[in-house]
Amino acid sequence: MQALLLFLTVAALSVLASSPLLMRVGRAFGLAQLSASGLLFFVFGVAVGPLAMGVLDAAQVEALRPLIAIGLTVVGVLTGFNVEPRLLRSLPWRLYAAVVTQGATSLVVVAAGLFAVFYLTGALDGMVAALGAAALFGAVASVSSPHVGILGMRSGRLERREGLGLTLVAMLDDLWGLLALMAALALASAVSIPDGFGLLALAALLGLVCGLLLLFLTRAASNEEEVATLLLGAVMLVGGAAAYLRISTLVAGVVCGATLSVLGRQAAASHYKVLAKIERPVYLLLLFLAGPLFHPQTVWVWFVLPLFVVLRFVAKVAGGGLASRVGGGVIPPKTGWALVSQGGLSVCLVIEFLLLVPGPTSQLIFDVALLAALINEVLGARAFAIGFPPPARSMAPPAPEAN
Amino acid sequence: MKSALPRLILIVGLLAGVDALQRARGETGTPVALAAGGLLLAALFAGKVATFLHLPRLTGYLLVGVGVGPYALGFIPKEGITGLALISGIAVSLIALSAGTELRLELLQRVGAKVTRMCLLVAMVVFAICLVAVVAVAPWLEFMADMTLGQKVAAAAVISSVLVSFSPTVGIAVVEEMGARGPFTDFLMAFIILGDLVVLVLFAASVSMARAAFGGAFSLSEVMLTISWELFGSVLVGALLGLILLVYLERVGKEVVVFIIGLCFALAEGGGRLHLSPLLMSLAAGGLLANLSEKSAAVLHTAIQRAGLPVFALFFAAAGAGLHLDTVMKVGPYAVLLALLRAGTLYYTSRRFAPNDEPEVKKLLWLGLISQAGVSFGLASIVERTFPEFGAGAATLLIAIITLHELVGPLMVRKALLSAGEATVSADAPRTAAAH
Repeated sequence: MQALLLFLTVAALSVLASSPLLMRVGRAFGLAQLSASGLLFFVFGVAVGPLAMGVLDAAQVEALRPLIAIGLTVVGVLTGFNVEPRLLRSLPWRLYAAVVTQGATSLVVVAAGLFAVFYLTGALDGMVAALGAAALFGAVASVSSPHVGILGMRSGRLERREGLGLTLVAMLDDLWGLLALMAALALASAVSIPDGFGLLALAALLGLVCGLLLLFLTRAASNEEEVATLLLGAVMLVGGAAAYLRISTLVAGVVCGATLSVLGRQAAASHYKVLAKIERPVYLLLLFLAGPLFHPQTVWVWFVLPLFVVLRFVAKVAGGGLASRVGGGVIPPKTGWALVSQGGLSVCLVIEFLLLVPGPTSQLIFDVALLAALINEVLGARAFAIGFPPPARSMAPPAPEAN
Repeated sequence: MKSALPRLILIVGLLAGVDALQRARGETGTPVALAAGGLLLAALFAGKVATFLHLPRLTGYLLVGVGVGPYALGFIPKEGITGLALISGIAVSLIALSAGTELRLELLQRVGAKVTRMCLLVAMVVFAICLVAVVAVAPWLEFMADMTLGQKVAAAAVISSVLVSFSPTVGIAVVEEMGARGPFTDFLMAFIILGDLVVLVLFAASVSMARAAFGGAFSLSEVMLTISWELFGSVLVGALLGLILLVYLERVGKEVVVFIIGLCFALAEGGGRLHLSPLLMSLAAGGLLANLSEKSAAVLHTAIQRAGLPVFALFFAAAGAGLHLDTVMKVGPYAVLLALLRAGTLYYTSRRFAPNDEPEVKKLLWLGLISQAGVSFGLASIVERTFPEFGAGAATLLIAIITLHELVGPLMVRKALLSAGEATVSADAPRTAAAH
């Protein structure tokens, strides 16, 4: 019965979250961004979890793991689809320089700031733990939502060139996050560092094999519904196999998506379209499923959270300006103001790390990063409005809704 | 076949590889998503291979599940199959909802009386013959050897009531797969649906008597209340849900597939908790909808076709993977004996009691009644839970028999429909989602 009630409530929340009426009401009270960020789902997840009402106990939360694995894989495959060698080759080197500058600034500023705090206060046991946690926070900080650029273009606040540049920066930012996650997993998820890299290689191999298999399977598909079913099966297979072997579902998903994108050519576009339809529901579901995992055990969460948000904001704004100069104007000077929203991938990174490397440090990172993602979603819309005001000709352009 | 077989081999190969890696790694996570993905992909291509071999796709789904499941090759762990119980509930409700849309008043008026009479006679004779047979072999069955005669009869009655059950899900799925339409199909569908009601009554009565025989209290009013609630409660709640579905389809009409999956989820979960039959509820909902609005029934049918492909393939593959081959080995001779006796009785009673003006029914109906599946497994597990004295042994015997029937059943239904000449769609061009 609990499962039924939960399902019905999540379904009701889904309807509410996409209701134009609720959005209008929310906008009137300045809450539209909060509702669009999926906060409702996360709060509901926390409320029914072991921390609050206890509708879901620890065993039931454990039973929801397959759904988390599938959700992470969907996000991973969609991220992997963005790997388009032809497009990546055609980008000017100045853009890459700008991306590296922007991402590195966020990573270094946030990681250095938090490392100093952790190390000086002794919040975490030992220098390695402090360094690892700070590095992962830095990685999460470098990830940005790519949707702002697109929505900015649509609302007329950004020119096409600027919007595309911003979107590319945000998409390439994901690589920073993924690389940092891989490094963190290699260091922490196995008994030795070579073993850790071995497990990552295994996840990548699994993604590659499943991607190739899916390409082969879909060649015999007779209609669109069969393609969708095969995609669904393949996503469950790659995520399920990774979860069963306790290796990274996200990495396996990204490699699977990249394989499809690189080798699939025209078929990749239709595959992407099918999966993109469920991107938003999957993100909301992940937020809901992340709720019961939220368990702030120390006061450090409430201390690190504002610090992380402030450091990240400063790093994004400063890094954006620096990146614009390094890139010779390929991206606008106020780029950083558009990159404040964290996006879904950052949430996935910390969920994955918590599941594969459970422990107090992972829990701290998870709790802070998740709350920060929601705060930054709200903050991001305001920052974008300040950095990129609406054009004079437009009377009331719609506010961009990240994620 | 040329394209499906290598693909099936590759998928099974990948599952074997994951299994080998897991053994080497030692550390194990949750296998549910692996089971879902692996079984779904394998089932899709196994269905195509089965079609090439002139077998029902359903048999392909079942066999590939058996093959990669925990009781044969073991590539999918048992915990993975257990975790898919929810899919089974949704699939049963989807199949029944679809079948319900065929239950038009005109059909019930035409065959209702004949089917009711025949169904009652067939069920009673099968029940009686099986009861006598189980009592006869009781000295050789470990779990019955030390019982008194009264207890033997009571336990045999419980076992026999499960043996009477048919499989509406398998029957309906094969009928849908083959696009079968005609008087024989109508009769068969009505028979297995009505048979489900008869079995519910028979089972509840047998269980109550067995409780009394093993020292528990017997209350006729309680038995009647339980049966009434399960039958009439299911129909009433199902009709109510049918009305809600109708309003949704006519007034909202958006995201129909999502709504129907949600409704089936509610039927499966809620029905179980409220001691209602999800199958009856879904049939009632579909039947009411079809009789109130043909247009909405058509929309529902199309939506189920779209939603059905992954759900049905996964459902039957998971059912196959859950088949206890080890149990069949354990009580093999007795299981085979009882299965043959049941088949023989069905053959005889169908010929004996079928209406004279229905020659196809007389000749072929028994083939459509062989299969047993979800409902029967459910009853077997109730027996196991309810009777600590003999439940485990009885369930072992029942599961072995049902396993045999589940594997052979779809072939028999298909043969019956082909022989009756009512299959309108060739196996290569499936008509509905169940057929994919």
